[in-house]
Order: sequence, then C-alpha cells, then structure tokens
Amino acid sequence: MLNDIFNILLPHIALGGFIIILFLMGMILPIRMFKYSRPTAIIGIYVTIALLSTVQMEPQYFGFKNSVMSDTYTLLFDFIILICGFLVAILNRTLIYSIKRNAYTFYAILLAAILGAMNVVSANDFLTLFVSMELLGFSTYYLIASAKGYPSKEASFKYLITSAVSTGVFLFGVSYLYGITGSINFSAIYEKVANEEFSLMYSVSSILIVLGLISKLAIFPFANWIIDVYKGCETSVLAFLSTIPKLALFGIIARLLVFPLGSSFELTFVIALFSLITAFWANTYAIKENNVKVILGCSASANASYVLLAASLVSVYNLSTVLFYLICYVFMNIGVFAFLNIYGDKKPMHTEDFKGFFAKNHGLTFSYAISILALAGIPVTSGFIAKIYLFSGIAKSGLIFVPFLITLMLLTVAALFYYLKILVPLFEECDKNTEIPTLKALFSQKFVLVTSAAIILVIGICPEKLIELCQFIAYNI
Amino acid sequence: MNILLSPPILVFLPMIVSLLIISPLFTSNEIVVRRFAKGFCAFHFLYTILMLGFFNPENPYVSELHFFGMDWIQSLGIKFVFKIDAISMILSALTSFVFLISIISSKFNIRKHHKFYYSMQMLLMSAILGIFTSGDMFLFFLFWELEMIPAYFLIGGNFSNVTGNEFEGNPKKSAIKFILFTFTGSMFMLLGILLLHYFNVISSGNITANFSEIFVQGIPMKIQLFIMACLLVGFGVKLPFVPLHTWLPDAHTDASTPVSMVLAGILLKTGGYGLYRFNYQLMPDAFRLIAPILAIFAVISIIYTAFVCYTQTDIKRIIAYSSISNMGLVLLGLCAFNQIGLTASVFHMVAHALVTCGLFMIAGIVYLRYKNRDINTLSGIASKMPRLFGFAVLIVLASIGVPLFAPFVGEILTIIGALNSDFSFILKACAILSLPLLILCSCYMLKFLHNSFYGIKSDISETVNDISIHEFIVLASVLAGLIIFGLYPNALLNIIMGLN
Repeated sequence: MLNDIFNILLPHIALGGFIIILFLMGMILPIRMFKYSRPTAIIGIYVTIALLSTVQMEPQYFGFKNSVMSDTYTLLFDFIILICGFLVAILNRTLIYSIKRNAYTFYAILLAAILGAMNVVSANDFLTLFVSMELLGFSTYYLIASAKGYPSKEASFKYLITSAVSTGVFLFGVSYLYGITGSINFSAIYEKVANEEFSLMYSVSSILIVLGLISKLAIFPFANWIIDVYKGCETSVLAFLSTIPKLALFGIIARLLVFPLGSSFELTFVIALFSLITAFWANTYAIKENNVKVILGCSASANASYVLLAASLVSVYNLSTVLFYLICYVFMNIGVFAFLNIYGDKKPMHTEDFKGFFAKNHGLTFSYAISILALAGIPVTSGFIAKIYLFSGIAKSGLIFVPFLITLMLLTVAALFYYLKILVPLFEECDKNTEIPTLKALFSQKFVLVTSAAIILVIGICPEKLIELCQFIAYNI
Repeated sequence: MNILLSPPILVFLPMIVSLLIISPLFTSNEIVVRRFAKGFCAFHFLYTILMLGFFNPENPYVSELHFFGMDWIQSLGIKFVFKIDAISMILSALTSFVFLISIISSKFNIRKHHKFYYSMQMLLMSAILGIFTSGDMFLFFLFWELEMIPAYFLIGGNFSNVTGNEFEGNPKKSAIKFILFTFTGSMFMLLGILLLHYFNVISSGNITANFSEIFVQGIPMKIQLFIMACLLVGFGVKLPFVPLHTWLPDAHTDASTPVSMVLAGILLKTGGYGLYRFNYQLMPDAFRLIAPILAIFAVISIIYTAFVCYTQTDIKRIIAYSSISNMGLVLLGLCAFNQIGLTASVFHMVAHALVTCGLFMIAGIVYLRYKNRDINTLSGIASKMPRLFGFAVLIVLASIGVPLFAPFVGEILTIIGALNSDFSFILKACAILSLPLLILCSCYMLKFLHNSFYGIKSDISETVNDISIHEFIVLASVLAGLIIFGLYPNALLNIIMGLN
C-alpha cells in the first residue's frame, strides 16, 4: 500500500493536498486576499510536475490491486495535462478578478479537474475510470458556470445534461462487459478477450463504452452541445475545456482501443464512421458561422474527429501520430484562447470585430495568426507536420481507408475556409472613422500567447525529437 | 564556390528579407521599402545568374540541411534536401527575373500597405523557389502549401486602391476561389504523395521521400494510376487544364498588375514543373499509359480557351485565357514523352512567362492611364502613347508566335515533339488538332491590338503621359528576352538538354 503510494500516487496526492489547502484558505482568509489563490494553484501544479519524477514506470507498474497503472504513456499525458493546467492557471487572472469571492474555490476545482484528468489516463479498471471521469466532469461543470452572467450557467447546464446521458451509456456498456467477462479490470478483461472468441455482445458493449467516452470530445451522437457551451463559456475556461478533457479522454480511449476493447472489428468501423460524420457536420456548420467562439468550437469538434479516426485504426504507428497531433493541438488552442482572453470576454466576438487589428497590435496579432495557421495546417507551423503525420498514418492503414482519407482531406478544405474567415479580417483595412483598439495585455496573458506560438513554431521547424518521443512511447505501450 | 552558391541561400534569402520588411523595426517609408525590395531582387537575380553561369549539368547543386545533426523527419525519411538540376535552374532564374520586373512595375500600381505587400511578394518568391529546388516530396509539398497564403493576400489585398470602378471586380472572392481550388488540389496531391511514399517503402524497403531514391517498378500498375490521378488533380489545378481552370481568369483579372505578372508568369509554371517532376520523371510507365488522355485534355484546353478568349472584352481576361491556352501547349509537350517534347515544354514555359508578363504590363499601363480595360470602348491609344504602341505591337506579335520571337520556337518544337511521339497515334492527331491555336491566337490578340490601339479616340483633349522609365525598363527587358531566345534558342535548349 505504502509502496504503491510512493511509486505512483505522490503527484496525485500532492495535487490533492493543494486542493485542500486552497479550500482552507478560502474559508480562513478574508476576501480581499483572493489574489493569493492564483500563485498557490500555480505552485501546486509546479510541485506536481516536479513530483512526476518519482513515478515508477519501467516497464509498467500496477498499483492498488491493479486499479491504477503507470508507464511512459501515462507519464507523458500527465506531463502535458499539467503543462496545459499551468498555462490555463496563468491565464485565469481576469476571470478571478471578476469573481473575487469564489477565487479560491475556482482554483481548487481547477486543480480537481486536473487531478481527475490525470487519474482518467492512469486508470486500469472501469470503476477508477468512472470515478475519475466524474471528478473531471463535475469540476468542468463548475468551471464553465463560474463566470458571471446567464450564458455561462446555460452552457454549464447543457454540458451537464449531455454528460449525464453519455455517462449512462458508458455504464450500460460496462455492465454488459462485466456480464461477459466477469471483471472490470482492464488487464483481466484483456486476458479473457485475447483467449476466447466473443460475439456481437462484446462488440455492442465496447461500442457503448466508447460512445460514452467520446461525448466529452463532441463526437457525433453527442456533438452539438459544443456550440452552446463554447458560446457561453469564458475564454480562459475554454482554454481549459478544449485541452485537458480532450487529452484525458484521448489518453484513455487510445489505450482502451489497444487493449481491452481491441478485439472488436465492428468498433473500428463504427468509430471511423462517427468521426467522419462529425468532421462533416462540424466543418460544414462552421462555414456559415460568424462567431469566433462557435467557429473554434466546431474546429475543436472537427480536430477531435480526425484524431479519433486515426486512433480507431489501431496500430503503433497510428498511436504515435495521435500523440503527436494531440501535443501540437493543445498548444494551438491555448494560444488562440489566450488572444481572445486578451481581447476581452465582454465584447462581441464576431469575425468582423477583429478588423484591422494587425495595424495596431503587431506582436499579439502575429502570434494569434500563427496559432490559427497552425490549426489550418499551413507550413512552418506544427499543424502542418501534425496533419501530414496523421494522414500518413491513415494512408498506411490500408487501401480500404483511402476513401475515408479523401473525405477527411476534402473537409480540411472547408476548414481552411473558416480559418481564413477568422484570419483575414485581422489584416484588413478599417474605415477611417472606426477606431482600432490597442489591446492592453497583462504580462501573464502575453506570456501564454507568446509561449504557445513559440512552441508551435519550434515544433514546426524541427519536429524530429518530438516524433521520436511519441514513437518511443507508442512502441512501449 | 559551392558554399557561396548554394540552394538554401537562394531559397531562404527572400524569406529572411520578407520577415525583415514586415518586422516593426523596419521603416514604413514607402520609398525606402520599395527600393530595398527592388535592390534585393536585383541582387537575387544576379545571384541566380551567377549560379546559372557556374552550373554544370553533370554536377547539379545539391545541399542538405540538418537540424541539430538530424534529418528533418527521420521516421518518414523526410530530409531537408535541395537539388537543382537543369530544369530547376532555368525555372529558378526565371522566377528571380519575373519577381524583379514585378517589383519594378509595382511603383505606380501599389498604393497602400507597402510593407505588407513587399513582404508577401518576397515570401511568395521564397515559396516558389522552394518548389522549384526541393529534392524531397514532402519538402515540395511544404513549399506548395506555403505559397498559398502570400498568394491569397496578394490576390485579395486590393493594393492598387481603385474603388468605384466597374473593373475592380471582387478580389476577395477571387482569392477565396483561388485558395479553395488550390487547397483541394493540394490535398489530392498529398494523398498521392503519401501513397507513393508508402508503396515505395513497401516495395523497396527504403524509407525515403527523396525524388532520386523513389522507384515505382515494384508498385502495381492500378495503384500507380491512382496515384497518378491524384497528383494530376493537384497539378492540373495549378497548370491549369480545362475542367479545373475556372479560378484563373478571376484571380488574374482581380489582382493588381504586378501580382498578375507573378501569377501568370511563375505560379502556373509550378504546375507544369510538378507534372514533370512527379508524373513524368517518377512514374514514366503510368505516364505513358495516361499520356494520350492527357493530350486530349491539352487539346481541349488549347482550342476551347482560345474560342472563349475571342469573346472576351476585358484585356486582362483575354490574357488570362490565353495563358490557359498556352499552358495546354506545355502539357501537350510533356505528353509527347520524348526529348523534343520535354525540351519544348520547358522552353515554352519560359517564353510564355516573358510574353505574359509583357502583356499584363501593357494592360496595367493602359488601365492606369484610362481606368478602363474594355477593348470595345478603348481606342486610339496609339496616337496618344506611341512608345507603348511600339512595344505592344512587338509583344503581341511575339505572343501570336511570329518567327524570331521565343514563343515561336516553343510552339513549333512542341508540335514537332508531339508528332514524333512514337507510342500513340492519338498524340499525332492532337498535335495536328492543336495547330489552329496559331490562327486563333492571332485572331484574339490582333483584335485586342486593333480595337484598343488603332482608331481615333473621341475625347481628343485628354492628355496622357507615355510610358515612364520604370515601365520602359520592364517592357524592354521582356522584349529583349523574347528576341534573344527567339534568335538564339540554343542558349536555353542546350542547358535543358545537357542533363537529359
């Protein structure tokens, strides 16, 4: 027991400790000291990153009666999740200044969400997975609703309803799988499945499980929550929502597809089909949209569907492309939302509202443009490499998937169209009588924006180290 | 010498200059920015001429970049390698020249956003040079994608600041059309490249994307044909041939004059170059199978667009459609699949680039003076601008294909090449069918010349300035190129054939 704690759970426990500290500070300290919540949370995340080095990972370590595990794969995901959490926590400054009273609770729950996300990835049985998913989910409802005003509450409630339904679907699938195999442990299920032949029931249960999981990624059956949620959500919370749940869920889905659910061939086609439908829906919906947040929501859904398609064609190579794409993708999103956070949440966010920004705010707009270009997959950014690498994985999976690939590629053309819709007004000329605002960015916001833009460019110019890392981890799973 | 004259310098120097110009530290003074860009282009042109002078067909320029001692993407076998053989060398020199005259002609045409405009021009130059010199499929694709963003801003930018004119068109819409066509094509191209890479790895066991290390002999013919079709869509949009050409007239008409020169002069040639580099060189067997069908497409482009051209009244549209017609000829030359055809198509690319730059320059000069490009309402320019008239007559004659000018050599060699192709009678038929081009071309070009330059302008009192020194330099250099290569085509032909 103690051994397990020191081998796996030390970072998690540290994060939990900081959650408790934040709650205590919220109870004891006066409201005017709300500012100290942010440094505390940042220090908490920093300590957790430092403690990741204590985690036992070679080759695989199972703890707590096989209910949690750790290897290089979970370590990578923990690390990326914590880095994203770090950037998001830095970005939240304007939000907590508007909700002073709840600042401590906000950060405590942000840390709880990060803890949930880390636990989702390292879960090794369905119960742990379910509990961690609920921790992540409930924290997310709170975070979405935390901004002042009616739209955030509406967004939170819509997300809650969709997640509740999908959780039901997930549990339904798990109960079937338990009925077939008599276990909820991944390793035990995999041993059973690898030895015996299972029929339709097994396929149905694995499809239901994956359906329950992909609702948080906005894939087809549970896709259209993303529009309302993105419309009502605060931008720094969106930076959280579009990265950390996505990382956690892809982390677990990719591993589930490799091990316990991997023997079902129907699953691949169902997921591939759903992701194609999502890609089609999201990309065509965004064409006529004018609200930048909604367009980014559709882009989040579309990108998730590309990754899911690659993840569904289970192979080591595809797994490495998925890892690479996710790592590139989170930094693009954080960059975009950092700029929108600088712009301000109260103002309208239509594409035309950003007209002529380049003339007054060179550096900020340039970094934002880099993030958008990376999402569109234009060269010299990491998005280009990620796109080529992901597509090369799908092309290698066999000639049956070439039609899927062609559809996906044609849909990225539509994607380019709406990214240009965001990008082009920035460089346009304004009328004489309209004043272009000079953006006032705090150091923290600038730091997040410029860091993510720099990471995008560095990965875009020399990607080899990261690709090697992803391949190493994919081979060792 | 090899260290000084290396392809990465050729390609990345414009990119560095582009970043320099757009950076906030650089002055925003219009004159300084323009002269800096002009000076840089002149230097770059001299550099390429120097490279051309030291070029040795047996020993092409090759150089490879390493990032921290590693290849670019080792797991896919992608290397950052540049290779300049004869055809790359000629097209690079042409690129440098066209950008030089385009920047010179920008003086009167570009009225606003100078920093942004010159920065985008330099970026486009860098991307196009990258396409012509890259020795790796994925690197080729990188530059192919990179070129779209500056091209988009240049077409849609409306830098010439003309408003409230019926000829203004809708640049933004044209730019979107251009980018959607090109991106769709490039996605098909990416599919072709990925499949080619994958099947090459399977058949040869060698993880590489280098042009010189890809062998398609082990790949089944059906898959080769599929890859070929994917690549053809990509390059066919850029070249363009007929069903894929509709973006071109809009983009060329709505862009400002210097941009039109670059688009028609160089951008279309990237399609022809890609066809040569991928389809012709990498997959010769599949190309032989598909060549007769392509030749039919080429003839349709040649004849159909020539007829369309005759009905146009906008000068820029006439030139744009004539470009499609001429690129059909380039395609026909490649389809001939022999030494003469290949040489002719490369030669015709150069000749057509010169002609079309000259013609767009004339259209730009007329438009700048009269705010009108309609050949039905223009007349009597000859009496107002005799020097322009002299240049116009010579360049129009060159474009028709009159002997002693370069396009004549290109057209005749192409048709000879197609007649000599020994593997299909369809090609010979196509060669004969494309002969009416010479007649049709003279019909529409002489109509343009006659309607706009001859006659008496009703508004006698109006005075316009004849061509200025900048415009004179552009037109004279284009004309000099046309005459030199027309009188002594071997200057080019020897370089092209030296390698092959």
